[in-house]
Amino acid sequence: MSVSQTAPGPPPPPAPPAPELVPIAARTVGAVKVYGRGETAVRALDGISADFVSHQFTAIMGASGSGKSTLLHCLAGLDRLTSGQTFIAGYELGRLTDRQLTLLRREKVGFIFQSLNLVPTLNALDNIVLPLTIAGRKPEPGVVEGVVQMTGLADRLKHRPGELSGGQQQRVAAARALVSRPEIIFADEPTGNLDSKAGGELLAFLRKAVDTLGQTIVIVTHDPFAASHADRVIFLADGRVVQEMRSPTADSILAVVRHLGD
Amino acid sequence: MFKVSLRSLLSHKLRLALTATAIILGVTFVAGTLVLTDTIRNTFEGVLSNVDKGVAVQVKGATPATPSGRLLNQNLPLPESVLARVQKVSGVADAVGVVERSGVSLLQNGQVVGATDHAAMLGLNWVSDSQLSSFELTSGTAPRSADEVVINARAATNGHLAVGQQIQVSFEASAAQPFVISGIATFGGQASIATEGFALFTLPTAESLLEANNTFDVIDVSAQSGVTDLQLRDRVASALSGTGVQVQTGAQAASETEQNAVTDINEFIGTPLLVFAFVAVFVGSFLIANTFSILVAQRTQELALLRALGATRGQVFTEVITEAALTGVLASLVGFLLGILVADGLIHLVGSSAKLSVQPDALITSVLVGTIITVIAAALPARRATRIAPVAALREAQPEFQGLPRVRIACGLLLFLGGTAGLLQSLFTATATSGPNLSVLGLSVLGIFLGTALLAPILVRPVATVLGWPARFRGAPGRLAGENARRNPRRTALTSAALMIGLALVTAVAVITDSVEASINQALDGTVKAQLVVIAEGSGAFSPEVASTLRADPRLTDVSEIRGSDVLVGDIETNVIGLDTSNVSRIFSFSMTQGSAASIATGDTTIVDSTEAATENIHLGSVVTMTFPNGDKVTMTVGGIYTPDALISGYLVSLGTLNPHLTTARDSDVALNPAPGVSVASADASMLNDLRAYPQLSGLTKTQYKNLISAGLNTFLNLIYVLLGLAIIIAVVGIVNTLALSVLERTRELGLLRALGMTRGQTREMVAWESVIIALLGAVLGLAVGAGLGIALVSSLHSDGISQTAVPGNNLILYAVAAALFGIIASIFPAIRASRVDILRAVTSE
Ligand SMILES: Nc1ncnc2c1ncn2[C@@H]1O[C@H](COP(=O)(O)OP(=O)(O)OP(=O)(O)O)[C@@H](O)[C@H]1O
Ligand SMILES: [Mg+2]
Repeated sequence: MSVSQTAPGPPPPPAPPAPELVPIAARTVGAVKVYGRGETAVRALDGISADFVSHQFTAIMGASGSGKSTLLHCLAGLDRLTSGQTFIAGYELGRLTDRQLTLLRREKVGFIFQSLNLVPTLNALDNIVLPLTIAGRKPEPGVVEGVVQMTGLADRLKHRPGELSGGQQQRVAAARALVSRPEIIFADEPTGNLDSKAGGELLAFLRKAVDTLGQTIVIVTHDPFAASHADRVIFLADGRVVQEMRSPTADSILAVVRHLGD
Repeated sequence: MFKVSLRSLLSHKLRLALTATAIILGVTFVAGTLVLTDTIRNTFEGVLSNVDKGVAVQVKGATPATPSGRLLNQNLPLPESVLARVQKVSGVADAVGVVERSGVSLLQNGQVVGATDHAAMLGLNWVSDSQLSSFELTSGTAPRSADEVVINARAATNGHLAVGQQIQVSFEASAAQPFVISGIATFGGQASIATEGFALFTLPTAESLLEANNTFDVIDVSAQSGVTDLQLRDRVASALSGTGVQVQTGAQAASETEQNAVTDINEFIGTPLLVFAFVAVFVGSFLIANTFSILVAQRTQELALLRALGATRGQVFTEVITEAALTGVLASLVGFLLGILVADGLIHLVGSSAKLSVQPDALITSVLVGTIITVIAAALPARRATRIAPVAALREAQPEFQGLPRVRIACGLLLFLGGTAGLLQSLFTATATSGPNLSVLGLSVLGIFLGTALLAPILVRPVATVLGWPARFRGAPGRLAGENARRNPRRTALTSAALMIGLALVTAVAVITDSVEASINQALDGTVKAQLVVIAEGSGAFSPEVASTLRADPRLTDVSEIRGSDVLVGDIETNVIGLDTSNVSRIFSFSMTQGSAASIATGDTTIVDSTEAATENIHLGSVVTMTFPNGDKVTMTVGGIYTPDALISGYLVSLGTLNPHLTTARDSDVALNPAPGVSVASADASMLNDLRAYPQLSGLTKTQYKNLISAGLNTFLNLIYVLLGLAIIIAVVGIVNTLALSVLERTRELGLLRALGMTRGQTREMVAWESVIIALLGAVLGLAVGAGLGIALVSSLHSDGISQTAVPGNNLILYAVAAALFGIIASIFPAIRASRVDILRAVTSE
């Protein structure tokens, strides 16, 4: 557990930066992450700078081992950079204490993991409102109902995760990520364990969240079809951003993936 | 497979340590007890083997017997003439008469000195024939004149007494007489006889001081060379034939003494400690069963993989059991070593220099107990392991939530109801003389505990919901803790059950002591009308002189002696109490069911309590035969039947009826009242002033007497707390263990919660709440079962005078609070672990 390099003290909230022309939900500048030391050191992130614009759906792609998960974890405040900076909602994560990071995740960040996203003892509804319960907040009226409506899980809310299919579980996880209306949602291969139909449903749901609720979403995926739901695709290779694409289609993505694979 | 077991064992050091702790603690208790009793026994045997070596033959007085041959466990004194007859037997080298009676106190400046807790010392006459005496002077000389005394070395150290010092000696609170310490002695090399002190006098002094009235208690005989002990015994026996006296060889007498000593050691030290050790081991077995269940659950995938790779069910079973057996043996060995240390510590603590006796038997018993319990406890989980289907290797473990198997409910009900029936049967068919059948009682309680433990999972959901309710106000941590406690009801239940046992026993004892106290208080307020009472500290009997002294005090009245004697009524050994009839109505108010208390004023008339009357089928006007220690057989008429209470029960007669059959008159209590017009306070002061000459005695008002009883019962309760403390500690370790393993199992989930914004503090709080819920479930079960046990026991004693049933509410609340605190303490380590899960590892590892 690394500790913030800056002097410890009361929560600093560094002043949010000056308003930009396009609002930025998350940003990383010169991100470097080195695992291990000496000869066995791995440079998982090798100087990545990227902005994630609010109300946008971004997909991160790249070969296995290219640093996608590492980037996501560092952006989301689950891990710390070796050097460089990351910001969420204007807060520089490297300056926050563990507790402040926890509170920031609670307030500003939503997650969807590849699998085992849910607390097995809680039913679907309780899982959905879990971030609010943890924060000791009451959901705003209508928000939960709205999100549940979008997931199409209204009749399964009293079921425990063990009684739901993988696709349903992922949709519950997505609903949970949405319900606290976070600044940004990170999803690491959310469709990785789903068949194409369930995967499609989940992606349609995420797309809808961006379009109708103005949610900001960043997903990591290997699937060009999944990435085609995004507004923008960032391609990584060996810990660096090697290409960017706006308004992608499955075909254009496939072309880049083929090219990078060469 | 053995290799797999060993590797699995060593690869989980923490798990091994936690499981082993339970076994180690239990076995430590067992081994400590065994080594301690072996040591005490060994020391005693060592002393006895040094003692009375030169005694070829020993003569003791006759033992009174009923017409049907039932013996009273007392010997009549030997008239002096017997000694002369023994001395004339051919082959006798020397024969000496010994007077030995307990009840001697050493006094200095009006205080008892030299003895701990005012315990009475043994008084004897000095025997100069060193062949026939085991007392050795360490300084000074033997007593030569009437006012010289030799005291034991321990008394000299305790009381800072030295040769040449002036001291006073009193026998059973008779008037103190001045003596000079002429010497200090040991017995068989020991500073005291077991824990009893001794004082040695010249024969005439011993006879008069100890009120032997020209009799001896024992005659020791040495043989001329060439005469065997057996030959001499037969010669002495034939010389004394017809007198009824007992003649034994020295070896027989010694082995009888040794037998009695060993029986006493087992009865008063060994057995009670072993019972508590067993409770600790029993509680430990719950912990072990639970740990192995959790391990099997956690290793489902691994075991399924083994099965998929072709391991048979038998091999899987053997794998788990071997791991248990290995753990059991290792932990038992550690427990045994710790037990030796504990025994050694205890022996040093009581200031003894005894050499520790570590017998192979103790090692074998300890290791067997520890290992067998571990293997038995692991058997069910191991069986469950064999049922794991190979496909489970591919599935994610899900929380249990499902209902209990019917077989388990049936077994639980059977054990619980069977246990309850057995308990009630053994308690309520018990007779006053034989008491309840202890093995039936013990097994019944065991059944109740096991049944409750089996059924407890049913209670987990409702109880966790109720107990978890306040936790909900603490938001997510409390909420999730409640769910976690309920997610695996068997695990929660088994963990709670371990705590239940300790708390149930504590509660039962608290109910009993409280009921006894309430019953005694009720008896004091109801039956006892006397305002003041005199008792001996250490509850010995005392000389009638005391009553005479008090009678002479004009500020006191109704001075009444209460005098007891062992007696055989028919064939039953019991005791009879003599009361002063002149003012009995102002001292006691008996509630008579038949006849009248005043009837005892008529000679040879007795009144008896209704319980005794019912069991012995005695009615008003019945005739009973009493055999007294002096051999007298007296026919008594039953003149009344009264309701017994906590203080008075059994046969009551008048002093006039009793006195002629006593060798020496000794009072157990003196009851009295303030003279008319004198306040209780000033009468009390006056009584205390009269008692200044008798430092062994206490004069008490009713309130003081109640406080004394209460203090005694509290001391007893505290002792029980200490003895059951280990069982409770083991249960707490069990909670730690369950939580630690659960935390390990839920690493991913905890990481997820942390990722979603649960702070470390909230995570710790969540584990703490779960722990508190487990502990409180144990408390609820324990208090309920314990109160049930206690009430059943007390109810069965109603007819013996424990008429009040008191459930000490304050204590119960205290236990529940203590349990919750234990829960919090138990959660510390698992909670810290839980709050430190590596979020990334938890959410990324597949
Ligand atoms: N905890 C770690 N310790 C050491 N090296 C690590 C660790 N985590 C990741 N790496 C290394 O960092 C590099 C980037 O890993 P990362 O998990 O970010 O890749 P990825 O793009 O998510 O791959 P995938 O598509 O297979 O999930 C890899 O070379 C990996 O081996
Ligand atoms: Mg990855």
